[in-house]
Amino acid sequence: MEHTVARAAGVLAAVAALAATSACAGTQATTTAPSPAAPGTTAVTGGEPVEIAYLHRLPDGEGMTKVAELAEQWNEENPDIQVTATKFDGRAAEMITKIEADVQAGTAPCLAQAGYAEVPSLFTRGLLADVTSEAAGYADNYSAGAFSLMTVGGTTVGLPQDGGPLVYYYNAAEFERLGLTVPTTMTELADVAKTAAGQGKYVVAFQPDEAQYWLAAQAAAAGGTWFSAENDAWRVDAAGEASQQVAGLWQDLLDSDAALVEQRWGDGFRGALNDQSLIGTIGAAWEAPLLAGDMAGTANEGQWSVAQLPSFGSEAMTGPDGGFGVVVLRTCDHPAEAMEFNNWLNTQIDALVSQGLVVAATGPMETPEAIRTFYGGQDVFAELATANENLNPDFPYIPTYPAIGAEMAAAADRAGSGQGTVMDIFTTAQEASVSSLEDAGLPVAR
Amino acid sequence: MAARDRRARGGRGFGRRGFGRSHEARTGWMFLSPFVLLFALCFLAPIVVSVRAAFHRDLPTGGGLYGGGELVETFVGVENFAQVLATPALWAGLGRVVLFGIFQIPVMIGLALLLALLLDSEVVRRVTVFRLGFFLPFAIPGVIAALLWTYIYSPRLSPINQVLGAVGAPIDFFHPQMILVSMANMTTWTFAGYNMLIFLAALQAIPRELYEAARIDGASEARIVWAIKIPMVAPAALLAVLLSIIGTIQLFNEPTVLATVNPWMGNDFTPMVLAYNAMTGQAQPSGAGPASAVSIVMAVFAGVLAAGYALAQRRLAR
Repeated sequence: MEHTVARAAGVLAAVAALAATSACAGTQATTTAPSPAAPGTTAVTGGEPVEIAYLHRLPDGEGMTKVAELAEQWNEENPDIQVTATKFDGRAAEMITKIEADVQAGTAPCLAQAGYAEVPSLFTRGLLADVTSEAAGYADNYSAGAFSLMTVGGTTVGLPQDGGPLVYYYNAAEFERLGLTVPTTMTELADVAKTAAGQGKYVVAFQPDEAQYWLAAQAAAAGGTWFSAENDAWRVDAAGEASQQVAGLWQDLLDSDAALVEQRWGDGFRGALNDQSLIGTIGAAWEAPLLAGDMAGTANEGQWSVAQLPSFGSEAMTGPDGGFGVVVLRTCDHPAEAMEFNNWLNTQIDALVSQGLVVAATGPMETPEAIRTFYGGQDVFAELATANENLNPDFPYIPTYPAIGAEMAAAADRAGSGQGTVMDIFTTAQEASVSSLEDAGLPVAR
Repeated sequence: MAARDRRARGGRGFGRRGFGRSHEARTGWMFLSPFVLLFALCFLAPIVVSVRAAFHRDLPTGGGLYGGGELVETFVGVENFAQVLATPALWAGLGRVVLFGIFQIPVMIGLALLLALLLDSEVVRRVTVFRLGFFLPFAIPGVIAALLWTYIYSPRLSPINQVLGAVGAPIDFFHPQMILVSMANMTTWTFAGYNMLIFLAALQAIPRELYEAARIDGASEARIVWAIKIPMVAPAALLAVLLSIIGTIQLFNEPTVLATVNPWMGNDFTPMVLAYNAMTGQAQPSGAGPASAVSIVMAVFAGVLAAGYALAQRRLAR
C-alpha cells in the first residue's frame, strides 16, 4: 500500500528510484553490515553488540519524531542491540524488489516495513523469517485484527505498525448550512448525496486510482471476505454478495451524478476540496492529516469532522484500506533481538502518531494539536481508534494481490467515465486474482 | 565518419611487428581497462543476467496457500516467452508504440532538419543562442520533463486550456484518443533539438566550396538546400531515425508519469512499462522471468526494425 505523505510525493520518489537503479544495476549500496556474532547467538554477553538494520518508508517530515531519533534513543537504552534505521525513498513495490535482491545477496536488513497486502507476497517469495514464538509474547500489545494481518497461514512474520480503516470525513459547517444530516448507513449516504447534488455539492467522491484498496475495503465493510482457504487452495470471492452491494451503491451514485469522479491523488480532488464543491469523502484513517494538509489555509480550516463509515448492514463495520507492519527478513541472524526492537518501536505511540500513523498498538493516541484544530476541536484519533476496533477481522490478501491493482484501477476509471459499470471492477478483480494465482503456481479452488 | 573507419582499420596491424609493439598494446589495454570493466559490469552483465532470467521462473515448491514460503528458480525453457507473446497487453502496447513512432518520428525528424537548415543558413544571427535554446529541452531529465508537461496538460491547471477555454475550444489532453498525441508532443519537444544537433554537425561538415561552385553556376539558395544540403545529410538522417526508432520502442518515462494521473492507462501501456511492472510484481504476468522475456522480445523487435530500416534506406540510396 502506498501510504500517507510519501504517496503525494510518489512520482518524484519514483523518479529518484528509477534514476538510481538505471545508473548501474550492479552497484546498489546495501544498508547492513553482516553481524559479527555467529547465527543463533541470542544474548551477547560483554562481547560485540548485536547489529540490527531497519529499512522503512515513513515520511520523516517536518515536525515529526524522526525514525532515526527513535533508533538513537533505543541505542542509548540498549547498548547490546544497536539499530540502524534507513529511509527508503521510493515506491513500496520498488522497496520489495530491493529487499528480494538483498535477501538473495545476503545483505538484507533484519527489519523492513511492508504493507499488509504485501506480506503474503513476501512470505511466498521466501523473504520472511518465522517469528511466531518471539511474537507471541508481544501479541497483547496490538489490536487483534492488525496482528492477524502479520500472520500468514499460521506463521507470524513481524508486528503491525498502523492501520487504515475507512472512515467518513465531512465538512460539518457546510452540512449544517445545507441542512444535511451525517449519514450512518449507506442508504442514508445515497439520499444525502442526491440532496446535496441538487444544491451543487458533493458529499462523496468516486476515486478510480484508489480502487484496489479503497473498494476492497468497502467490500470488507459490507462483510465480505475476498480470499479464503478451501481444501488448501484459494477460494476467490471478489465479485460476491458484498462486492455487489458496494457496486450497487456506487452505480446508483454515479448514474444520478451524485458523486464527484476524481482521482484521489490528482489535482482535481484537492481543487474540489478547496473550492468546497466536495464537502465529504470516504477515506482511510491515515488520510486525516493529509486532508488537513491539503486544505490548510483555506476556509475549510476548523470546519471538517470525522465520523464512522456509514454502515452497509445492520452492524458497524469497516474495512482495511492500507496500513503496514514491520517484518523480520529471513536472513536476519538475530530475530529475537530484532523483534525486541520491533515491539518497542511499534509501541512508541506518540512518535508514530506524529508521523501521521493510526497505530496498531493498543493504547490511547493523543490527537496532535494541528489536526485537532483543523477538525474543529474534535478528538480525531479517538474516532479513528473506534474505527480500528470495527475492522472486519477476516480480510486476508492473496500473495499476488499487488499484481491486480492496475487492472482494477483501469476498470474503475472506465466505470467513472460511464464506459463501464462498477461491477466490472469486481469481476476484473475476480478474474485477475485467479489468473495471477495460477500464474504464480499457487492452488486455486474451483 | 569514413575517415575515422579508415584510421581504425590502419591500427589493426599492431603487435605483429615485434617486441616494442606488444608493450604498447599492453599499455593500450591498460588505458582501455576502465572502460572495459564498466562496460562489462553495467552493460554486459545485466544482459547476461536478464537472458538467463528469461529462461527461468521462481516457482513455489511446497504446497498450500502460500506455496510453502519458498520459491525455487526453475528452468522453464521458452515458457516465459510463450506466455509473454500470448499476453494481449504486450501486443496492445506494441501497437501503441508503433503508431506513435509512425507519426512522431517523421514530424520530429522533419522539424529537426528544418531547424538545422535555418541555423546553417545565413538568415539566423546569434546561432549559438538558438542552438543552445533548441537543445535545452534535451538537457532536462526525461521524467522531470514528463512531470512538467503533465502539469501543462492537467485539466484544472493547463495554461493552454485557460487560453483555449476562453475561446470555447479546450483540449482534453488526457483523453484516450488524445494521449498518444500528447506524448508525441512531449518527446518531440525533448528530442527535436537533439536531432537538430546531429543534422547541424553534418551540415557544417559539408565543404563550403560546394556552395560556392553552385552559386557560380547560378543556383538559388533553395536549390542549394535541395540539391546539396539535404542529400549530404542523408547519413545523419539515417542515424537520427535509427536512434528515434529505438527510443520509441523504449517509450517509458512519459506513459509512466501520465499513468499516475490517468489510471485507465494501467501498468502496461507500453511494453517497457509492462516489463517494469512485471518485474516489481505489479502487472500480469509477474516476476523477473516474464519481465526479462518482455525486454528481450522488445530488443529483438527494435533490432529487426532498425535493421529493416537501414537496409531499406541503403537500397533507396543506390
